[in-house]
Amino acid sequence: MFSRNKNLSSSVSTDMMKKQKRYEALVKALHADIFRYAMWLIKDKAIAEDVVQETFLRAWKSLDSLKDEGAAKSWLITILRRENARRFERKQFDLVDIDDVSVADPINFGDVVLEHRELRRIIGDLSEEYREPLMMQILMGFSGDEIAEQLNLNKNTVMTRLFRARNQIKEALLGDQTKGEQVNG
Amino acid sequence: MDELSFRRTIYAEPNTTDPDVIQAAKDDPAKQAFWDEVKAMDAQLAQAMNIPIPENFADKLILRQGMDEFTQKRQKRPWYVAMAASVAMVVGVSYMTLFAGNSGLVNDVFAHVSHEYMAKELAMSSQTVSQEALNEKMTTFNGTLSEEIGEVVSANYCYLDTIRSLHMIVKGEKGLLSLFVVPQSKSQDLKEEFSNDELVGTSFLLASAKIIIVGNDRDDVAQLQQVAQSSFRF
Repeated sequence: MFSRNKNLSSSVSTDMMKKQKRYEALVKALHADIFRYAMWLIKDKAIAEDVVQETFLRAWKSLDSLKDEGAAKSWLITILRRENARRFERKQFDLVDIDDVSVADPINFGDVVLEHRELRRIIGDLSEEYREPLMMQILMGFSGDEIAEQLNLNKNTVMTRLFRARNQIKEALLGDQTKGEQVNG
Repeated sequence: MDELSFRRTIYAEPNTTDPDVIQAAKDDPAKQAFWDEVKAMDAQLAQAMNIPIPENFADKLILRQGMDEFTQKRQKRPWYVAMAASVAMVVGVSYMTLFAGNSGLVNDVFAHVSHEYMAKELAMSSQTVSQEALNEKMTTFNGTLSEEIGEVVSANYCYLDTIRSLHMIVKGEKGLLSLFVVPQSKSQDLKEEFSNDELVGTSFLLASAKIIIVGNDRDDVAQLQQVAQSSFRF
């Protein structure tokens, strides 16, 4: 009986070790992408860090539900977006639309060539409905179908938003201040 | 493929593999140039989006998960553990309150009377301690033992709290008794009668010294007290 218990507990701890290993691999492989995504979504470094931490904690708790390692990225993004939404639920009373808040230089890391700074400002100025699919496509490498699934939109809408996002960026780069309004498709 | 839908497709998905788009670009250098331009812009965007990661962020995430596990385990302690802890604290506090004033000395007396401690002392001692040897030790307290107080199986100097005392172990009718001789000046706070679950104790003053007697049986203690009162001279 003792030996049986011992086997049982040692197999439990082996499972824990496996889970731990799997989790660490997941963190190492994807923390940078997830953090960058959070940064572009939230535009505040401290909050983004918090949300990413919450995201990975959730991921740890439900790691067993992730069957396919290849789907890990979109799985984490789903958790991240939910965690970010919860942030607004919690703060319902002092809710501020992050897009309305003018932050002096939100994504300034001081280490960037001027060109990137300008691009970062432009990306940051995009409204969320354009910025998010663009991040998913460029940063995360998601396909149109994957973006549609994440955002719960149909693919045509996603493609339209991606088109408009690039269009707005292009216009901003050209110094055109009338962003996108007249370029409807 | 017309200009507008070509541009729309490229803008929406610069890495498209749509054969129509590829064919259209082949047929029209202007379209190919536009495509290249959008691809270049995308490469710039990708670089701009590549913001630096906080230092040791991965380690932080792994550590945080470990800490969360730890606190979760702590939180999973059942309610009755907390209950037991608070009951234990109440008992402890009331115990200390009951013995307030001389708890240090009394606790030390009890500690010296514990079975383990007594066994140690007995092991170090010869079987019976002679009257002569006892009197030799009594000189420290400027006292003498005029009569025999019973069969003394051990006599040693002990520190009670910080007070030097002579600890004698005496055979009583129902078990071993402890008799401590301590200077009066340092034991004023000690109560005359004290006890715990197992032991009863009494203390009384003889001139410059205080005698403390502790044992399991009240009658034994009382009897030794009577004998001691007439045997010790200070």
